[in-house]
Amino acid sequence: MADAPDLLSGGEPEGTTHIHERQELVGRDVRTEEMVFNMGPQHPATHGVLRVAVKTDGEYVRALQPHVGNIHRCVEKIGESVPYYQWVPYLDRMDYLAAMCNEHVGCMAIEQLGEIEVPERAEYIRIIVVELQRILSHLMAIGVYGLDLGAFTPFLHQFRERERGMDLLDHLSGGRLLYHYIRIGGVKRDVSRDWLDELEAFLADVEKRMPEYNTLLLHNHVFQERTFHVGIIDRDTAVRWGVTGPALRAAGVDWDCRRDAPYSIYDRFDFEVPHGVSDIGGEVGDCYQRHWIRVREVEESLKIIRQALAGLPEGPVMGRVPKGFKPKPGEVYVRGENPRGELACYMVSVGKSDKAWRARCRGPSFSNIACITEVSEGLLIGDLVSLIGSLDIVLGEVDR
Amino acid sequence: MAETVDTPDTPPSDPQTERALEVVRSALPEAVVASELSGRHPWIQVRVEDLRAACRLLRDEPTLQMDCCHLISGVDWPEAAEIEVVYHLCSYSLKPPAAYGRRAEKNDPWIALKVRVPRDQAEVPTVMDIWTGADWHERETWDLVGVRFTGRRELRRVLLPDDWPGHPLRKDWEFPASYHGVPIIPPEGL
Repeated sequence: MADAPDLLSGGEPEGTTHIHERQELVGRDVRTEEMVFNMGPQHPATHGVLRVAVKTDGEYVRALQPHVGNIHRCVEKIGESVPYYQWVPYLDRMDYLAAMCNEHVGCMAIEQLGEIEVPERAEYIRIIVVELQRILSHLMAIGVYGLDLGAFTPFLHQFRERERGMDLLDHLSGGRLLYHYIRIGGVKRDVSRDWLDELEAFLADVEKRMPEYNTLLLHNHVFQERTFHVGIIDRDTAVRWGVTGPALRAAGVDWDCRRDAPYSIYDRFDFEVPHGVSDIGGEVGDCYQRHWIRVREVEESLKIIRQALAGLPEGPVMGRVPKGFKPKPGEVYVRGENPRGELACYMVSVGKSDKAWRARCRGPSFSNIACITEVSEGLLIGDLVSLIGSLDIVLGEVDR
Repeated sequence: MAETVDTPDTPPSDPQTERALEVVRSALPEAVVASELSGRHPWIQVRVEDLRAACRLLRDEPTLQMDCCHLISGVDWPEAAEIEVVYHLCSYSLKPPAAYGRRAEKNDPWIALKVRVPRDQAEVPTVMDIWTGADWHERETWDLVGVRFTGRRELRRVLLPDDWPGHPLRKDWEFPASYHGVPIIPPEGL
């Protein structure tokens, strides 16, 4: 390689600062062409087995196409093939970072189909574990996003907290990640006084440490440089693509299913719904605001759990579920606010059967990841990692 | 469908679906085939040829503003030799109407729109240009239920491999004996 360019002595030609001018200079001397390459399926920043075919022009993304389905596990086919109660643990495995939330929505759909009443205490326990799950899921999202952008430390700190939370759910259900705790008609086991005390101690610690974590990421200058004005999903794009959850709220849409279409007993709690505003830094709909929404939602979840703990009534935790449960013919459509967006279940029963005729799930990650085809155009490849990380997708749910 | 009569026995109808029905009926008098206004899952069924016009109406109607296609599902009904495609629409621009509050049956302001097409010629016009997000849902419905959406860019499978035989959520789908030389043993009970 005799004529290899001298990389060390080279530098920017004098007086050229604008990126397009620099590109023109490169185009004059160096052969440039668009290149297509695969990011994934084993790329650490894609959060699972996601393959993104990227067409690049230098460091810029010109077009991309996500390819999903690598871990498709036929959740909907299984839903038609097994009795209702056997389908619930499969729901855990869709969004494995928010298994409680999946169970909650799935069980609500089946309960509405079969007109099953859930006891009051069980509803409160459900809210407690679902919101605890939301905190754990957001801690994971916040920490791993730092990891995506090259900050290893916050990830370890947040995992310490998350591990404690998972121990709590482990004591309750026997599972660390996949619980099968929320059952049709109620919850599997009652909570003990000791467990509630432990939970309160955990909440106090999370509340105390969140500001510390925020100094590591949210208020960190390097982090802000990587996320301000990057990967903007504006209001129109988000709504058109069916983006939900923190990404929708970051785009400035003031909508949360828990408040605006209250399911379960969410209408009894008082909490705020954070949404993207321009005065917190960055701009509405960018990666920073999505991150900020998650941080705020952890605080709101703490509030909800405390209110639920204060109002927790005595009583049974399991309602009356008939043996050989066979719902009447009918359909239901239930949606709930998961940490990643709106999970919805559409179930059709034809009656006289313990199996659903059709069990359809809407995974929020599925719709959220679809929009990157449009949003990523013109991003730097490094910012594409930032965009995918900020959407916080779980591939188990995309592929179902 | 007959007009709902206000007697204590009739369950209350869903205001959102009622409004949608009015909007579609007034602009497209022939379009609505059937509807169900009360209960947990009210719906409106329109003719396939009117689907796109009905979707546009619901999206552009200022009192509804259905700006998001939340989910598209296909349901196979082999006895009727039909496939039903269900569109769940919702709005992020409008807050739920005040009439909603905490309704016992349905307190979530989505609207379900249905079309039915013959099973052996399951073709539905695309709504991708109305709601971009319908893209992947249509691909998934093609992939798993075998509904061909027409008038859109290439309709590729999304979850299953491109050469997978058939559409597994059709009720008469059978497990292939093998896939690329790997024998497939169907699980028990299927």
